[in-house]
Amino acid sequence: MQTILYADLIASFMSVSAEPIACQECGQLHRYSPLALGKTANCRRCGALLYRNRPDMLDSVLALTLAGLTLFVLTNVFPLLGLRAQGAEQELHLLGASLAFWDQGYPLLAGLIILNIIIFPLFELLTLLVVVLTIRYHWRSSTAIFLFRWMREFKPWGMLEVFMLGVLVAVVKLGDLATLIVGAAFWSFAGLVLTMAAATTLLDPFSVWRALGKNNG
Amino acid sequence: MAENEALLQCRVCGCLSHAPTQLKRFEVMHCPRCGARLKLAQQSTSVEETWALLIAAAILYIPANFLPIMSVYMLGAGQPDTIITGVYHLLEAGQWPLALIVFVASIVVPLLKLFTLSFLLISIQRRSRWRQHDRMRLYRITEYVGRWSMVDVFVIAILTGLVQFGNLARVDANLGSLSFAAVVVLTMFAARTLDEHLIWDVAQQEEELT
Repeated sequence: MQTILYADLIASFMSVSAEPIACQECGQLHRYSPLALGKTANCRRCGALLYRNRPDMLDSVLALTLAGLTLFVLTNVFPLLGLRAQGAEQELHLLGASLAFWDQGYPLLAGLIILNIIIFPLFELLTLLVVVLTIRYHWRSSTAIFLFRWMREFKPWGMLEVFMLGVLVAVVKLGDLATLIVGAAFWSFAGLVLTMAAATTLLDPFSVWRALGKNNG
Repeated sequence: MAENEALLQCRVCGCLSHAPTQLKRFEVMHCPRCGARLKLAQQSTSVEETWALLIAAAILYIPANFLPIMSVYMLGAGQPDTIITGVYHLLEAGQWPLALIVFVASIVVPLLKLFTLSFLLISIQRRSRWRQHDRMRLYRITEYVGRWSMVDVFVIAILTGLVQFGNLARVDANLGSLSFAAVVVLTMFAARTLDEHLIWDVAQQEEELT
């Protein structure tokens, strides 16, 4: 008990000049204080995560982003699935899955799917690349701020993992109808989903915004 | 937002800034760090916008469930399927895990979203202080889970793209898939426009008044 009170006392003296921050969940005000490596700070009212100090966050995210971009290219170049029935063969690319609705007379749906599984994921990967490089090399951050803001807004609309579930459902559905060929893009696609999920988990938005805000102007 | 300190918090980047003492008519505030638009609580049209999107989604939910979403033709024979008959066919074929996935993603989740968002809106409008933590959690779950409803639309896209063997076997998309996608998109927008901080703010403002 004694030690905790004492620590609180020191903290309150030291942080008089520290910048105020607010919990994104409930609005509770806190004062920012740097964390030891590997530690996290949580809101004292609602317990939501405020910020973290991950070792090597920037380098891991950079590695994952570069891997993700490579997998993204592979996924778009190679066929995802193939179907063989009575001598005829059909192949499906990622873009083909988006355009299927176009051929059926639903251009709006085709546009939505292209955004969900191609444009927004690519935008996210490129933004991560720009943001990480900007922080690492202390570039002027106005472009990175603009991109990161929109990436955060578009985040729910990139639906690679939902599409992955759709692919699995389709594979099971077709399995007993015809001979199904699993294409190379299927595997790179699975890798892409994992890579992007890992990058999202590792990235601490608070630290990114703080670093970008300092380099601004 | 932390109005009581005359501080505004940006919804996008979390940056705190001082609220101006006076705003001119039609003047708009922007976050000093990321440039996103900032709104005072009394400027917020979040509740109205969310209701509008929810009502539109509820109306489209009807054709989404009664119109066929896709048609499977094998050797010239076949018929259009709605979401429900699609689930039923999967059950008949003994593929109950798939039937469960499609049932939850296409029927349970959209309905649950319509109900929970309406419930949250009504509780905000009634200035309820009832279990704010739990309502916040409910909002987070609703926001997260909504996008998974798109799985049915993706399955239709994959099947129509892949199964095009003329008379032998063919899968076509139908109008229901467009209404269904519209329901998903509208409820996702609704979850986004609902300012979840209103769940807390109402109680705080009343505390200051009393």
